[in-house]
Amino acid sequence: MRSSLELKERRTWRWLLCLAGGSVAAAAEPTFYAARVAPVLDRHCVVCHGPEKKKAGLRLDSFDHLMAGAESGSIVKPGDVKGSELHRRITLPATDEEVMPSDGKPSLSADEIKIIALWIEAGASPTKSLADFPTAPALRPARVAPVPLAPSWREKAAEIAALEKKFGVKLVPRSQVPTDGLVLRSASAPQRCNDQVLAGLAPVARFIVDAELARTPVTDAGLKALGSWENLRAIDLTRTKVTSAGLAALSGLKHLEVINLTDTAVDDAGVTTLRALPGLKRAWLFGSKATVTQYPVATAP
Amino acid sequence: MSAHPDFHDHSLCSDHGGEHPSVWDLPQVPLGLKREWLALETRRHFLGRGVKALGAAGLATLLGRTAPNLLANVAAAGTPGPNFAPKAKRAIYLFMAGSPSQFETWDYKPGLAKMFDQDLPESVRGGQVLTGMTASQARFPIAPSRYAFAQHGKAGHWVSELFPHTAKIADELCVLKSLHTEAINHEPAILQLTTGNMFAGRPSIGAWLSYGLGAANDELPTFVVMTSKMPVRTNVQALSNRLWSSGFLSPEHAAVALRAGNDPVLYINNPAGVDGDLRQAMIAGVNDLNRQLFERVGDPEINARIAQYEMAFRMQTSVPELTDFSSEPASTWELYGPKAKEPGTYAYNCLMARRLAERGVRFTQVFLRTWDQHSNLPTNIKVMAEESDRATYALVTDLKQRGLLDDTLVIWGGEFGRTVYSQGVLRPDNYGRDHHPRCFSMWLAGGGVKPGVSYGETDDFSYNIVKDPVHIRDLHATLLHLFGLDHNKLSFKFQGLDQRLTGVLPSRVIDAILA
Ligand code: HEC
Repeated sequence: MRSSLELKERRTWRWLLCLAGGSVAAAAEPTFYAARVAPVLDRHCVVCHGPEKKKAGLRLDSFDHLMAGAESGSIVKPGDVKGSELHRRITLPATDEEVMPSDGKPSLSADEIKIIALWIEAGASPTKSLADFPTAPALRPARVAPVPLAPSWREKAAEIAALEKKFGVKLVPRSQVPTDGLVLRSASAPQRCNDQVLAGLAPVARFIVDAELARTPVTDAGLKALGSWENLRAIDLTRTKVTSAGLAALSGLKHLEVINLTDTAVDDAGVTTLRALPGLKRAWLFGSKATVTQYPVATAP
Repeated sequence: MSAHPDFHDHSLCSDHGGEHPSVWDLPQVPLGLKREWLALETRRHFLGRGVKALGAAGLATLLGRTAPNLLANVAAAGTPGPNFAPKAKRAIYLFMAGSPSQFETWDYKPGLAKMFDQDLPESVRGGQVLTGMTASQARFPIAPSRYAFAQHGKAGHWVSELFPHTAKIADELCVLKSLHTEAINHEPAILQLTTGNMFAGRPSIGAWLSYGLGAANDELPTFVVMTSKMPVRTNVQALSNRLWSSGFLSPEHAAVALRAGNDPVLYINNPAGVDGDLRQAMIAGVNDLNRQLFERVGDPEINARIAQYEMAFRMQTSVPELTDFSSEPASTWELYGPKAKEPGTYAYNCLMARRLAERGVRFTQVFLRTWDQHSNLPTNIKVMAEESDRATYALVTDLKQRGLLDDTLVIWGGEFGRTVYSQGVLRPDNYGRDHHPRCFSMWLAGGGVKPGVSYGETDDFSYNIVKDPVHIRDLHATLLHLFGLDHNKLSFKFQGLDQRLTGVLPSRVIDAILA
């Protein structure tokens, strides 16, 4: 994983060089500072130590600033990892008052700390290249913000709670991120979660991304309701009375990725219907009347 | 109990003790959270009174807890909820107690064949302190695996001939070869895997998940444990409820132990001559008394007990349905084999684990013990592997075909490794292996773990780790991550610390094995 990322990085670089005329010497490879050290500081420190905020008089947004140090003096002693304030601050226990980043922000990963340590140890050079640090870990790409799966349910929390109570189902946030959507859970009382309940959930249906309906009395009539739950990613209909005919009602669910039809009467006609769903990754059909037990038919992982 | 995660920033929920609007007045708070709050409210109530009247400290101490903890717990209680979207909805942990040798299972060391009965080089051992069982041996002769290996699946995992069924699901498995621990004896080692700490008294993984995520099904416990009939009668590991306790978390997070036979959960059946109505009336009466007691003394454990009684009553209907296998199709029995019909066997428990997973139970732990082959390893490990192999394969296959494997994490493994050198006599067909904490193998499948990969490497003697060590804390951090929980954030204040499953020493999520 690590090496392929690095490889890609180098390839892009070479490719850029080609565009630039291709004759530039290998010395133009990215410096270790630019490729590894700066991104770590950018990610964790520059909000407080940059052009806007300069806490303790320290800026970390360029090599020169970093080496200029803070009000109290330099923070990097080339070649002396233990003696460098920069290293000390990022390796303190998370509970220490002096730990950086401060304010309980996530601490540096072991790999990130190692990058800084290797760099200081090798003389805190602005020019040494990536290739000079064969043992340095690669950087993981910053976590991209999660793609919203549904609108935030927060405004509707009261209505959601009222419907939960009315219908005896649970509408559980998938995570603390409100745009991760809700899971409809029926496991506590599957027999209560029938077609009428699904129809009754319409006012909050757009928040639901995962409908757990195994062993409920849901029939094809219920699928009509589900057909308008625009943000559904997954539906579990294990051991319900749904049939192939009912699946046609789901044809508008463009985000649907997984549908579980284990132990249902769905047959090959249903599989044909499902095939038209643009986002579908897997339909589970074990114990159904279809001639395959899953669609698309398994390709080994 | 409700499964509602708490969407609030915990730092905002403090017990300020002053006048405040009732939580029921807040329009934006989901019902589940309100219920959690109500449970808390009862604790607040006690604390408020305690401070005014009795002095909470003295009373709480009488009740076996100290007041500061109680206060802290109020701020920390509630259901934290996933920090980010989870991959796994549930997990099944197949615990091979006694510890299968890595040499005959997952860590293939072909070079050893040529070294039969040679002495383990001193440099490999590096002065490691050995257990009392082999420290006094005059020699440490190398014992190659008596069993052959072959590569399986596209993944090309090397699988021992002892696991012909598991070999068929090689492409589902993520094999970890570089687990390590500090414990050298079973009890502390098993405790460390189940609770994150060698000392008894900490919450088990399942209890943390219950605390962090709540129940998906209110009619069944969130955390279930089953111990399996023992295939061998020597070197038996003790299994007790400290391995599945709730520790300092509220008692309702502890596992319910499902037993083999007619009484899967003890004492929930109505005694002869007592019908359901009478039983319900009785429980209501007992709970009334408990509530009155709570009014007087305010111990939150009383509320937990009330919740337990109510859960037990609900289990009267949910458990018979759960344990009635008559609806299983013939294909189930073909897959799991005839032993699955015999309550209490590992195969039966594996099938039960699938049924629990289908019903939303979050964490099921199945123990299969007596893997502890200090002597007669070749004979006994074969018996154990036969017991484990087919049922384990059946469970993974069954979860997969029913579309459950993608969000069910399966874990298979013991509590430490075993030595490359023989304990006691060494013959090509007979030897034993002592405990070895420095490296051992496990595998994971499903639940958001990369299938068909191997992670970590040991040296030629599977004595030391040479690449990508995985401490038990790292395994736990990764497990919580799969459930959408940040192991640094899932904490509970107790004894002045923000206690966590992963403790205070450094631990990491093993990113490389995440799908
Ligand atoms: C949330 C704001 C914040 C972030 C993010 C942050 N710092 Fe700081 N930093 C401060 C404040 C405030 C001080 C002054 C108080 C102190 O010295 O602890 C400080 C002081 C320092 C000092 C001491 C300077 C001196 O006086 O010698 C160093 C070194 C430092 N930070 C490094 C870092 C590094 C490296 C990062 C990123 C890993 C980082 N900081 C991220 C706020 C921040």
